Amino acid sequence: MAESEEEVDVLVQRVVKDITNAFKRNPNIDEIGVIPCPEARCNRSPIVLVENKLGVESWCVKFLLPYVHNKLLLYRQRKHWLDREALVDITCTLLLLNPDFTTAWNVRKELLQCGVLNPEKDLYLGQLALTKFPKSPETWIHRRWVLQQILDQFLAVSHNKTQEQQGEAEQPNADSSRQLSDHLTRTLHQEMRVCSDAACRYPSNYNAWSHRIWVLQHMAKGNGKVFHDELSSTRLWVSMHVSDHSGFHYRQFLLKELITEHYQTSASATINGSSQHWSSTLPSSGPHQHSCSQTNGELSGAEAANEDDRQLSFTTVLQLFQQEIELCSDLIQSFPGHETLWSHRRHVFYLLNQWRREHQCSSRGDNNSIHLNDCDPGMSEVSPQSYAGREESVNGQNHASEPMELDRVSLPNPHDSKRLKRGVLLPGTPTLTSEHSFVNSILDSCCNPEQRRFAVAYKKWLDTVTGLQS
Amino acid sequence: MKLYSLSIHFKGATKANLLKAAYDLSSFSFFQRSSVQEFMTFTSALIVERTSQGSRASVKEQEYLCHVYVRNDNLSAVVIADTEYPQRVCFTLLDKVLEEFSRQVDSIDWPSGNPETTNYKALDIHLSKYQNPREADAMTKVQAELDETKIILHNTMESLLERGEKLDDLVAKSEHLGNQSKAFYKTARKQNSCCEIM
Repeated sequence: MAESEEEVDVLVQRVVKDITNAFKRNPNIDEIGVIPCPEARCNRSPIVLVENKLGVESWCVKFLLPYVHNKLLLYRQRKHWLDREALVDITCTLLLLNPDFTTAWNVRKELLQCGVLNPEKDLYLGQLALTKFPKSPETWIHRRWVLQQILDQFLAVSHNKTQEQQGEAEQPNADSSRQLSDHLTRTLHQEMRVCSDAACRYPSNYNAWSHRIWVLQHMAKGNGKVFHDELSSTRLWVSMHVSDHSGFHYRQFLLKELITEHYQTSASATINGSSQHWSSTLPSSGPHQHSCSQTNGELSGAEAANEDDRQLSFTTVLQLFQQEIELCSDLIQSFPGHETLWSHRRHVFYLLNQWRREHQCSSRGDNNSIHLNDCDPGMSEVSPQSYAGREESVNGQNHASEPMELDRVSLPNPHDSKRLKRGVLLPGTPTLTSEHSFVNSILDSCCNPEQRRFAVAYKKWLDTVTGLQS
Repeated sequence: MKLYSLSIHFKGATKANLLKAAYDLSSFSFFQRSSVQEFMTFTSALIVERTSQGSRASVKEQEYLCHVYVRNDNLSAVVIADTEYPQRVCFTLLDKVLEEFSRQVDSIDWPSGNPETTNYKALDIHLSKYQNPREADAMTKVQAELDETKIILHNTMESLLERGEKLDDLVAKSEHLGNQSKAFYKTARKQNSCCEIM
């Protein structure tokens, strides 16, 4: 099908227009694709719009793409002028066909910067491109640039507001700052969805998961609740994608962040009431009736409360680890032979132990160090922490929870006892012993050769870890 | 962890006769779905034709695993899954579906039936339910009782073919594939990307 240059020109202009019009007609387009169609059918547009899906018939791509690509390059080289509208349309077409064409994204950056384009438009365009090209590195990179623009705007606005408020003794404009922060929250959640969709479309989609991490690092700094929520909301996903290494790595990141939060909370708890923020993000593992409504600066009686906060968050983090190991065990048993699950277990167990050791070191320097291989949750003599109010059954005896106050009174050195308590493990906390017994139970019952291999390797690794830590 | 298609065939003397099929194509891009469906039907039928009576096999093709059970009475079922989905649960599903089908549909109708005339409605529900292997199969935690050594494993579709037989020819001749799918297969082949329509 030999097309003359003019014919191609006309065809392409028409296609670009059809695409633009399709978006105008239907603002809810949520997916793009190429329709396998080797030949054009009598003068019909190659652009097909069905149920919110935008398709381009494959026959026209070989005309369309080189043509628009060329046009944009000529524009860049200042050999050919394109007005802003044309630029928007052409880059849109280009990026839907090839989102790794950096130049096109850069042209859009310029348009954004001079106010011609709304950043939301680029987020939408990127989202569409990702439905067909879920890994596209340039799309993710551009997305981060756009988000950074949005964040900068937000910061600028709230900074201005504070200045205004300081300048005049006016009531703070609570409404609009609420609006801004709602907007940010919505953007955050949208990003989580985009990442999740892309992760579904391509296995172990490193770029999507990395982006997800970036978003949390930049848009959810210090917000423990978001990390907790992400941990719960990805739980089902990873259970249905047991060989998706990137998905599990994301959970390792979340756990690490929660540990860091815990440290920061502990460190600053006595300085100001920032613990209040942390305790408000606790998951509902039991009734925490806790007097944590401390505002900045109130130190009287805050000491005790902050101490409780630290204990609370310690317990919480420990529980998270425990749950993660349990999830891992569950999946390993249900779906034998996936290396990802064993790899995840290593990471989690290692993190847990590192954190526990550091925590023990920082809270009291000396003896009574709980060696990992000594620790048997079943033989603990000290009453277990039960801030959740539940009664732990240890060695068949029920130990009721003991309020902190009593301990402080009964023992000669209250601080020692608290430190001691902090060093004690909750029953059920993974230890070297329990890990060995888990591996052995797998080896005893499994007949999947891969599973066997991974279990043996894990056993060896456990021994190495003991070596490093004793 | 996904199941894409579940189909029931009768293994005739020379070819497989499709009796009923269910598909879950939600994870494929919208415009590829009809071609994907056709290729899955084509693949399932081919596998049944090339699997001996009274045997079970798993055939690997790219990121898909096709599990087949051809019974001694030539009633057969194929499920196409991804590589994460536990094999054991697939064979449980195939057994179950064939048992139920043979109770509901008279064997006289197997050699010549087709999806429109065959009165068996539960296939879609089974496919949907088994998307979550643990919900569907409470026994998943118990390690396999199924004798896995009896399941033949093929690493490619090609290994099912006779000497000299080419997949391209079979595609061209297939009645399960429309012209568009055939044409697309040809172009994909030329570009050396195999059946990347999937």
